[in-house]
Amino acid sequence: MACQFAAAGYFVNNLYELPDPSPIIAGDAVFRLLRLFVVVALTAVLASLPACSNKSGKIKIAVVTNCTAEFWSIAEAGATKAAKEADVDLQFRQLEKDFDAAAQMQIVDSWVKQGVNGIAVSVIDPKNQTEDLTRIAKKVPLITMDNDADQTGRLCYIGINNYEAGKAVGRLVKKALPKGGTVAIFIGDTKSANGTARTQGVLDELAGQKDATGTPANHPVNPKLAGKQFGQYFLVDGEAKQDGSPTNASPVAGAVLGRVQGLPDLCMIGLYAYNPPAIMSEARSRGMLKDIKVVGFDENWLTLKGIADGEVIGTVVQDPFMYGYKSVEALAAKARGDDSKLVKDPIPYRVVTKDGGPDETINGLLVKFPKVADFEAKLRDDLKSVGK
Amino acid sequence: MTRILGVLGLLVVLYTALIASDPNAGKPDNLISVANLQGRYGVVTLGAALVIIVGGIDLSLGAVVGCAAVLFGILMNDGVHPYAAVPLVILFGALVGFTNGLLITRLKVQPFLVTLCGMFIFRGVAQLLAQPMRGTVGMTSVIEAHREFNDPLRTLRYLLIGKAPTDGELLFPAQFILLIILAGVVGFFLHRTAYGRYWYAIGHSELAAKYAGVNVNRQRVSVYVVCSALGSLGGILLFLDAPSLQSNNAGYTWELYAILGAVLGGCSLRGGEGTAVGMVLGAMVLPVLENLVNFRGDKSDVIPVVIGLTLLFGAIVDELIRQRSRVHR
Repeated sequence: MACQFAAAGYFVNNLYELPDPSPIIAGDAVFRLLRLFVVVALTAVLASLPACSNKSGKIKIAVVTNCTAEFWSIAEAGATKAAKEADVDLQFRQLEKDFDAAAQMQIVDSWVKQGVNGIAVSVIDPKNQTEDLTRIAKKVPLITMDNDADQTGRLCYIGINNYEAGKAVGRLVKKALPKGGTVAIFIGDTKSANGTARTQGVLDELAGQKDATGTPANHPVNPKLAGKQFGQYFLVDGEAKQDGSPTNASPVAGAVLGRVQGLPDLCMIGLYAYNPPAIMSEARSRGMLKDIKVVGFDENWLTLKGIADGEVIGTVVQDPFMYGYKSVEALAAKARGDDSKLVKDPIPYRVVTKDGGPDETINGLLVKFPKVADFEAKLRDDLKSVGK
Repeated sequence: MTRILGVLGLLVVLYTALIASDPNAGKPDNLISVANLQGRYGVVTLGAALVIIVGGIDLSLGAVVGCAAVLFGILMNDGVHPYAAVPLVILFGALVGFTNGLLITRLKVQPFLVTLCGMFIFRGVAQLLAQPMRGTVGMTSVIEAHREFNDPLRTLRYLLIGKAPTDGELLFPAQFILLIILAGVVGFFLHRTAYGRYWYAIGHSELAAKYAGVNVNRQRVSVYVVCSALGSLGGILLFLDAPSLQSNNAGYTWELYAILGAVLGGCSLRGGEGTAVGMVLGAMVLPVLENLVNFRGDKSDVIPVVIGLTLLFGAIVDELIRQRSRVHR
C-alpha cells in the first residue's frame, strides 16, 4: 500500500509542477485532459507495481477469529509458528467487527475467491452460519476452532470440551464459596456454541444436576434483585450477562457490581478471556475487589497477574497457542494430502491457580493444575519461540 | 462532471490495485461479490445523500438499518409472511423519517441532534425487539420457527441479493442492480423534475427557496422519509444477505459509510450539491477497498489505518482537482 501511496503522490506532485495552461487555449479543456492524465497515469503505475502481498506460490492458509482480543494474539503466535515450520503463507485475521457473523463470512468468502488452500474459523453463530459454511466446506478444506459448527462438513474441530471446562469453572466457584452465595456470569456471546456449553457447565456444576435451568427467585438479602437459584448459588438476573464486545465488557460488569455492592459472598465469573480483567478493573474502581471472588476463563495476562496477586481464584484455560498452531498444521498437511494431522479429540483444558495441584482425571479427561508462575513462564516461552 | 472525476479516479486506482493484488481478484465471482456489497451500501448512501443535498444530516441511518433488519426478522418470527414483512419494514422506515422530518421542520430542532438521538433510540429499540431471540436474528432461525417461510424467504434472497435458493451461492449482483434502479429513480427526481430543483435550492439557501415559493418544510420531510425508507430497505438486504445479525451491532457505523459515500460522490456537507451518478460512485469506494485489504492479506492491526489513509488520500486528491478546476473556470 505504501508503494501505491508513493506512486500516487508522485503523479499528483507532477500535476502541480506542470506549467499553467494558457487561458487563451481553452483552459477548461486542457485541465480536463490533465485530470484524465492523472487518472490514467495513476492506473498505469499501480498496475505495473507488484502487490505488496506475498506471492510466493506457497500453500496459503487462512484463519479468522470471532473478535479482536489478546486471546487471539496468542493463537496468532501459534499459527505463525506452525506456518514457518510447514513453510506455508498465513493470513491470520482478528475480526475487527466483534462477533459480527456477516463480516466474518465476508472475509471467508473473499479467501475462497482468492483460492486459499485451507480455512480455519472460530464460528460466531453456528446455527445461522451452517448453510454458508457448508457451501464453503465443499470448496475449501475447512476446520472450526475454538467454536464449532458440527453440521457443516468441516474436517475437524480444534478446541476444548467447553461444557466440561464450564464445570471446572463451577468447581472453582464452589471452592471459593463453599457455603453458597451470589454469582454473576459475564460472557461475550451467549448464543455461540462455546458460550452456551461453557455457561451450562457452570450452572450444572453449581446446581449439582444436568441441564439445570434454575428456580426463579429474589435475592434473600436484597429482594429487589431478581435472578435464579442454582443449588446454594443465586445467579444475578438468572442468566449470563452478554456484553457483545470486549469494549462493552467493563460497563456491563460495572452495572452488575453496582447492583450487588454490599451483599455477602459474591463471586464474579468471567467466561471470555477479556471478562476477568474487566471485572477486576470495575471492582477495583469501586473499591470492591477485596469483597468479591473472581473466577476466570482463558489466559489473559491480567487474569494471570490477578491470580498471582491473589485477586483471582483461578482460571480455566484453553490453549489458544495450540489452537492456532494445530489449525495451521492440520490445514497445511491436508493441502499436501496428509490427513494425519487432523485433530480427533478435544484439547484438554487446564486449571491455573496460584499454588497449582496434582493432575486429576475428571469425567474421563486428564486435567492439569499448573501453578500460575509456571504456566505464565511456559506461555512466554511459547510466544518467544515464534519471534517477530 | 468535475465533482465525480475525483471519485472516478479513486475507483479506477482501487480496482487496478485490487486486480493487481491477486490473479483471482479480477475474476467475475469476486467482482460480483464486491458489487453486491456496493449495492447495499449504495442504497443507504442514496438516502443519506438526498438529506445532505437539502442541507441536513441523518446520523440515525445506521441504527435504522439495524432496527429494520431486526424488525424484519422478528416480524417473520412472529408469523408475518416475508412478502408482507418487506413493505411493513419499509413503512416503519418511512415513519421514522417522517418523525425526524417533523421534529426538524416543525419544532426546529437541529437535524444533527434529532438524528443523533434517533441513533440511540433505534439501536435501543432493536435490542429490545431482539430480546426474546437473545439479541440475534437470522434467516435460519426464522425458517426453523416457520418452515412455510423457507421458499418465500429463499426467493426473496434470490431476487434481492442474488444468492442461489439452494445453497446460498452468490449468482449475480442483485443488490447492485437494485442500486442502479433506485439511483435511476433518484436521478430522475433530482435532475429531471421540479422536486430536484427544490432540493438543490433548499440546500443552497433555505430562505431563498422559501421566498421563491418552495414549501421547504414539506420537501425536507419528504426527503427524510425517503432517506429512512431506503435505510430500512438496506436493513432488509442486510438481513437477507447475512447469516445472522446482532441487534447491538447490525448496521453499526453505516451512517458514516453512507455520509462518506455521499461526500466522496460529490455531495457537499453545506448542501445544494450532488448527483445520482456521484452517489453510486461514492458508495462503491469502501467495498472495493475492504475487498482489497482482504485480498492483500493485510494484518488486522493495520487495516483500519490503510482504509482511513486511502480514503483521506482520495478525498484530498479530489478536493485539489476541484479547487484547480474552480480557479480555471
